[in-house]
Amino acid sequence: MSHVPTPTQTYDLSFARWVYGHVDGGDRLALCMQCGTCSGSCPLGPQMDFGPRKLFMMIRAGLKDQVLGSNTIWNCVSCYNCVVRCPRQVPVKHILQSLATVAVREGYPGARETDNARFAKAFWWSAAKYGRTDERLVTAKFYFSYGLSKGYRKSMANLAIAKGMVKARRMHLGLPHKCKNAGELKLILARAAEIEARHGDAS
Amino acid sequence: MTESTSRSRTILVVGGGISGITAAVEAAEAGHDVVLVERSPTLGGRVAQMNRYFPKLCHPTCGLEINYQRIKKSKRIKVFTMASVASVKGAPGGYAVTVRTRPRYVRPNCTACGDCGRAATTEVANPFNYGLDKVKAAHLPHPMAFPMRYVIDPAVAATAEGRAIEAACPVGAVNLDDAEGSFELEVGAVVWATGWRPYPADKLTAYRWSEMANVVTNVEMERLASPDGPTKGRIVRPSDGAVPKKVALIQCAGSRDLNHLAYCSRICCLASMKHAAYVREQIADAQVDVYYIDLRAHDKLESFVQRVKRDPQVRFVKSKPARIEAGAGDNPVVCGENTLTREVYAEPYDLVVLATGMQAATAEGEVPVFAPDLDDYGFIFPESGAIAAGVASGPLDVSMSVQSATAAALKAIRAVSA
Repeated sequence: MSHVPTPTQTYDLSFARWVYGHVDGGDRLALCMQCGTCSGSCPLGPQMDFGPRKLFMMIRAGLKDQVLGSNTIWNCVSCYNCVVRCPRQVPVKHILQSLATVAVREGYPGARETDNARFAKAFWWSAAKYGRTDERLVTAKFYFSYGLSKGYRKSMANLAIAKGMVKARRMHLGLPHKCKNAGELKLILARAAEIEARHGDAS
Repeated sequence: MTESTSRSRTILVVGGGISGITAAVEAAEAGHDVVLVERSPTLGGRVAQMNRYFPKLCHPTCGLEINYQRIKKSKRIKVFTMASVASVKGAPGGYAVTVRTRPRYVRPNCTACGDCGRAATTEVANPFNYGLDKVKAAHLPHPMAFPMRYVIDPAVAATAEGRAIEAACPVGAVNLDDAEGSFELEVGAVVWATGWRPYPADKLTAYRWSEMANVVTNVEMERLASPDGPTKGRIVRPSDGAVPKKVALIQCAGSRDLNHLAYCSRICCLASMKHAAYVREQIADAQVDVYYIDLRAHDKLESFVQRVKRDPQVRFVKSKPARIEAGAGDNPVVCGENTLTREVYAEPYDLVVLATGMQAATAEGEVPVFAPDLDDYGFIFPESGAIAAGVASGPLDVSMSVQSATAAALKAIRAVSA
């Protein structure tokens, strides 16, 4: 990931251009015509501080800190309503999630502490380790990322759901499921990280 | 250009809407023979289906009437209705054209008395009112039909009902033996005035036109407001016939949208201003909300927008609605984000009008077009050398279509005079 420019004056397009070039789907962001279909389609629209449409305008305006510090990028649930409805075919969901990654990497205060960042981390831990997501381990890792006592309380609060899932055979009690060749998965992921690092340097 | 064996100075105009009519009368009045071919049973096209024109809100009937008079006075124009072009061969200066005709089952001596309509019992969907109501199987296409002649639906022609219709005619104008046919033409130039159709609203799934009676399109709104429409000009909710007190007009329904029509259809903003005016003229306490991305009123039309904006009961909301939901009492609920206030709204309405755009009639292969090249959207590509008049060349309003058709007539005259 190359250095993210910080705009210093009005009409400084350095941040916007960086987003166009480095963020997944950012190449279509310049086509946004501010119609509001994305924010109107979003099931979490009312909970978002800005919503995608306004966030995209803020990117153009160079408001880097407000963009990367917003809760909009963390509230996307990947329902794709905005993506299928966008009249300019801007991949809104890709952009929001990619910006969330940037916010974590750039160390934006609170970014790592959001529910979504914690859950994403737990999910990735299981996916990278086993090549599968194990519901028990992902939820446990997610809950206990808040600390021991808070994690215990969260776990107990959801115990009934867990029991129901076990009963319905949606959650199992034995050893975690694994993919067939976990060693090869590690090699693939290492290679992906290498490519990503190189891509960041080049741009 | 291939050398043709015979040269013709006749001009063929394909399509009998306002553009085709204009191109035909302009060329004929300049001294050229013109053949005007129209697919439907009457001339007039989409213009005949309009209630009023913007920006002056005058009636299209008067413009059509003048042009019909010009056709009648001219000895140089031959009109063929229920006829479509089956093939075009040749090059500018010498085209061989095959025209296919459909049976009308009514001879030219029809006096449009209406006895056949009274004798008919079967009812068919009325294309003039976009299927909002039904007409008898023997009917006049619309009050401004040209030729002023009835047409009989092929479904009843060979039945006992057909024979009853024939017997009812006092002048013996019904001809149940009428059949499909074709004829050949030698022409020097072809003017394509194939026009447009409203973008199919059923494709706009988030707006639920197919499911909800009180979501209508802008062309349906024209029919609802027309004195010769299904409600005799009273604007009412299709679900229960109630007078709507709160109406939403949604702009860019399918236009400027890469998933539908990528281009701006140019006329819908002004058509919606007209619809706001229709509602406010008829219903004193009605509230009209216009949802828009940006209003595109070119040159002189800006003053009409300003006039509508001065009405305190017309509100403008800068937003492209995301979806329409079903509310209580058959009320559509318009949902989206107001982009000026960031408010996420869900507003119920009595009636919602979708400003659907113009799709080229030559898009998606419904009309076979032989000579011209089409652009990505199905409009006739001007650099191809084909002569297009009106909306066949791109989205235009009526006055611009007439200008385009006059220009097309001149191009055709030049082609046959070379």
